[in-house]
Amino acid sequence: MKKIISIAVVLLILAVMLIGGAFYVVNVDQQVVVTYLGKPVKIIKEPGLYVKIPFLQKTTYFSKKILDYDADPRIVITEDKKNLLLDNYCKWYIAEPLKFYQSVRTTNGAMSRLDDIIYSEIRVELGNHTLTEVIAANRAEIMKNVTAASKKKADEYGIEIVDIRIKRADLPPENEKAVFARMVSERERIAKRYRSEGQEEAKKLRAKADKEKRIILAEAYKKVQQIKGETDAKTIKIYADAYSANESFYVFNKKLEIFNSLSENNKYFLTTQSDIFELLEKGVK
Amino acid sequence: MSEEKDPWGMDKYKFNIPNLPKFKFKKALIFPIIFVIVAIWMLTGIYLVDTNQQAVVKRFGKVARVVGPGPHYHFPYPVEAVNKANVTDVHRLEIGYKSYKNGESRIVEDEAQMLTGDENIVNLDVIVQYRIGDIVEYLYNIEGVVSTIKQVAESSMREIVGKQKIDYILTVGKDEIQIKAHEMIQDILKQYNAGIQIVAVQLQNVNPPNEVVAAFRDVASAREDKSRFINEAEAYANQVIPEARGSAASMILDAEAYREEKVKRAEGDAERFSEILKNYEQSPQLTRKRLYLDKMEDVIGKSDFYVFDSQISDINTFLGLENLKGSVNK
Repeated sequence: MKKIISIAVVLLILAVMLIGGAFYVVNVDQQVVVTYLGKPVKIIKEPGLYVKIPFLQKTTYFSKKILDYDADPRIVITEDKKNLLLDNYCKWYIAEPLKFYQSVRTTNGAMSRLDDIIYSEIRVELGNHTLTEVIAANRAEIMKNVTAASKKKADEYGIEIVDIRIKRADLPPENEKAVFARMVSERERIAKRYRSEGQEEAKKLRAKADKEKRIILAEAYKKVQQIKGETDAKTIKIYADAYSANESFYVFNKKLEIFNSLSENNKYFLTTQSDIFELLEKGVK
Repeated sequence: MSEEKDPWGMDKYKFNIPNLPKFKFKKALIFPIIFVIVAIWMLTGIYLVDTNQQAVVKRFGKVARVVGPGPHYHFPYPVEAVNKANVTDVHRLEIGYKSYKNGESRIVEDEAQMLTGDENIVNLDVIVQYRIGDIVEYLYNIEGVVSTIKQVAESSMREIVGKQKIDYILTVGKDEIQIKAHEMIQDILKQYNAGIQIVAVQLQNVNPPNEVVAAFRDVASAREDKSRFINEAEAYANQVIPEARGSAASMILDAEAYREEKVKRAEGDAERFSEILKNYEQSPQLTRKRLYLDKMEDVIGKSDFYVFDSQISDINTFLGLENLKGSVNK
């Protein structure tokens, strides 16, 4: 009785171990390579509960997620012989776990391969483009080419490259200084242009104002002269109309009026022959 | 606890403590004990999902269901497992600067500096706001979601900025860059199936680097100067032209006054002359004489008259007499 129970217990423990070793779970973000005495027999990509032969079959898990490879920034030379500090990243995943397992084994191993592949592809590709193309014009296309070329090479490691992108493309510090100097001189140029444009505009405005002023005054002068001319003409006619009635009387009358204009306290030397004083000499006859 | 151990080590106990009375109860207890263990095991399947969370239940590694907030139940380990994530929270990611809890912030120059299309350098600070759009994708599709968003955002910002000229970026381009960056970041993340929804991309600061900031400021003040010069000139014009118009008007009014005056005077003179003439013609000779004599009288009263006899041929000897003291005139 005792023996039976103890044997049963041992068997139970063994059974638990066997069951535990026979079942395994593959998560939604995992994939598994099953090996039988070191020889791969099965690749599992679908999540779920699976059975294997305990002890003999071994499972190796790989991630199914998109993984990241972020390279250190490094200097790449462009077609126009400029240095560019390039920082890129790569998104990739393990497409064929068996190939992956056989060629690079681990994610770290994969990273160093990716580094080699991407760096060389980027160097080749950027060597065919000028700095401006890399920065501005064709960045997307360049990276597409790099991605396509790298994809082919990564294939043999069971790696699928999703995307390679330039995170940063900066100038190295020594070139930066030159850029800053250029920026400053460019700004100075622009500032100068603004100021002289301002002067130009201001001068134009002032001259225009002066011109307008002179036109206004000249037009006013013209009008004044017209008015005065008309006025003088009119008065001449008025006088002529009136005085022509008796010209000699007008002259006589005007002569008398001229006396009004003589200033006072003058000295006049007359002889007794003059009309008013004739009586002084002649007396009354 | 000792009750639970009994079924496992009962033989030993029996030997060591022979008069253990529990031995008899054992058969009756074994099922309740198993029941309790199973019950406790089952209870571990109760879990709570917070109001801002969702949870994914995996059955043997496979996604079985996604549940919302509230208390839920899953089959206990190892059958089912739960992963939770905050799906309603909007998270923010700072690029180009780092803000601290005390409210200060500092530029992260490596992130902030970008090359523009015309090979200038600008500093940009960006905030990317995102939330989890698809919890399953978020949890299981991509490694390092947050760092990926950051990489994508940096890459997108640089690509967009690299296409623009610095003046555009610094002045009016902000909105367009934000919109483009938003689209681009979202597109790339979609390509990665990252399960992330970009809520907003905000450009915080767009500045030229410190090394050149003074030159940029000078451009700004040059622009000010330009408009100041123009304003001053316009002010001048606004002063000079109305003044000219004023003097033009006054000149013309003056001339008009001249016209009125001259004409009226002429008319007056003419009328007067006509009136005089009317009377004059009644006895011209007499009037002529009278007018003459009246005038003379008038004139003589106002000035000094020296009358010499017509016989005196040389009046020079008399000249100067009027200056002598006690002169006889008047």
